[in-house]
Amino acid sequence: MSSHYEAPIRRPLIIGDKNYHDISVDVAAPVEGKANKLWWIAFSIALTAFLWGIGCIVYTIGTGIGVWGLNKTVGWAWDITNFVWWVGIGHAGTLISAVLLLFRQKWRMGINRSAEAMTIFSVIQAGLFPVIHMGRVWNAHFVLPLPNQFGTLWTNFNSPLLWDVFAISTYLSVSLVFWWTGLLPDFAMLRDRAIRPFQKKIYGLLSFGWTGRAKDWQRFEEVSLVLAGLATPLVLSVHTIVSFDFATSVIPGWHTTIFPPYFVAGAVFSGFAMVNTLLIIMRKVSNLEAYITKQHIELMNIVIMITGSIVGCAYITELFIAWYSGVEYEQYAFLNRATGPYWWAYLFMMSCNVFSPQFMWFKRLRTSITFSFIISIVVNIGMWFERFVIIVTSLHRDYLPSSWTMFSPTFVDIGIFIGTIGFFFVLFLLYARTFPVIAQAEVKSILKASGEKYKKLRDGNHE
Amino acid sequence: MKNILKISIALAFLFTLSSCWLDKTKPNYQYMPDMYKPVGYETYSVNPNFSDGRTSQQPVEGTIARGKVPYDYADTTEGYDSALVNLKNPLEVNEENLANGKAMFTIYCISCHGAAGVGDGELVKRDKFLGVPNYKDRPITEGSIYHVIMYGRNLMGSHASQLTDKERWQVVMYVQQLRNELLK
Repeated sequence: MSSHYEAPIRRPLIIGDKNYHDISVDVAAPVEGKANKLWWIAFSIALTAFLWGIGCIVYTIGTGIGVWGLNKTVGWAWDITNFVWWVGIGHAGTLISAVLLLFRQKWRMGINRSAEAMTIFSVIQAGLFPVIHMGRVWNAHFVLPLPNQFGTLWTNFNSPLLWDVFAISTYLSVSLVFWWTGLLPDFAMLRDRAIRPFQKKIYGLLSFGWTGRAKDWQRFEEVSLVLAGLATPLVLSVHTIVSFDFATSVIPGWHTTIFPPYFVAGAVFSGFAMVNTLLIIMRKVSNLEAYITKQHIELMNIVIMITGSIVGCAYITELFIAWYSGVEYEQYAFLNRATGPYWWAYLFMMSCNVFSPQFMWFKRLRTSITFSFIISIVVNIGMWFERFVIIVTSLHRDYLPSSWTMFSPTFVDIGIFIGTIGFFFVLFLLYARTFPVIAQAEVKSILKASGEKYKKLRDGNHE
Repeated sequence: MKNILKISIALAFLFTLSSCWLDKTKPNYQYMPDMYKPVGYETYSVNPNFSDGRTSQQPVEGTIARGKVPYDYADTTEGYDSALVNLKNPLEVNEENLANGKAMFTIYCISCHGAAGVGDGELVKRDKFLGVPNYKDRPITEGSIYHVIMYGRNLMGSHASQLTDKERWQVVMYVQQLRNELLK
């Protein structure tokens, strides 16, 4: 190991005396073992919520959007709030797998698989909302520019809602391909370890005949890098396009040029919080504490702190510009947020998003697993309220006082949101039982550089 | 085996291109006919609210619609005689009126009366019925022509529902022109 130099300041990313085989065993254990009672309980709760959500969706489509709490002034509320929230959550996965790959961050390897899974599952949830919030879902295919018998009637490409269609569908498909490509060597590992013929067949199909030759690995690395290079602008543009839904409008409180970067920062902020929530539980229940270490949690907390501060800056910028603009509508929009009938939502948003990430400056707090878990949930509540505040408080009081109104959700609004949370966890729990939740092939590539045992050996040599 | 797969994929593709309209005696299937059928009653549609089942109901006897003038001559021999003498064409004789009169004549009159008004229309030529008189054979005036268009006479039916008041007078004007040609 004399040829390798790594700064001794770097802490190990793989804890314990692990070798390559141990990694395979640890990663394969949740897949090869049987689900315990806790898993079944969690799965049943998630499935119940999911089925309830399906019921609410069917009720909405069957009866009409009027079953929601929307009115003529507030035409978007929980539907688009939840859409933006879920899309935002999805962004962390791509950020971890793509941006951190471009920056050669080795710590991403323990968490990227689950983060990408989270991306895909949350983009699926997000994708539900643009469809079900349509008045006529059955004509949803009209958003696609397909040749047709209406004299080839096409879509208008000027609407950010159409860009959303392209953004979300591209984002989902690219993320899926990126995720699956990374899964091939891991599925091959599970295939080769499988004892039961059924499992062997399934993982044989999923792994696409991966044999791990040098040429395969070379191309695998190139594809990963190219996809990471593609996914990075994608992840920035997708949430930018989502922010255009608001930023391109003329509504005071929406018409802002800060939205694209601010939404992306918020997406990374909420996405990392969700990754933290999930991984803190997963490392415990799947016994992966050696791979998802306290350092991983701490680094994610630092990202949360940074992006949270960016979001905080954006809030202050918005407030400054509202005051500086001299536009009374803009000024009122922000006055209304702070002191209007939804002051509590604004307060929730401010306290959860601006203050809570600042706790991460304290090392004792950011290295505390319990504290990180609590903050990660607080952040996601805050980010939900951010979208709610932006959407509802800007709409319910705008130009004409005669159209001022209030919004309150019905049980169907809430039920669909709960349903998507249920669906997300149904997918995630199934994933955690059937997929290699850690990219073992990648983790093995850093074992000798960042494994605790090897680091000790190396640092010992220097002494 | 691979060929069978390819052929079946091709057939499945072709099948999706074909329409589902098997029974051409019935209207085709519709996909989500949200606003295909009217909520209101369209003019000639069936209407279950009226005893005769029609949406287009008769106006009340004796009412006069705005822009319409009632025709006061009775559908009797006396009425005919009165119209023959008293009824005058309110329209000015000009190219425009004559041109439209000709157009209307060509649509509604030519099949029996013939293009020149000598009673040699296509139906007469084919012996569908006989007894269409030549315009020059009868002592008709603009009033009587109008009266006959309004009510019909003998074998001829009323043409009041096909032609508006103005169009009737334009036809009258054109018939008079044809008659003058024939009398020369």
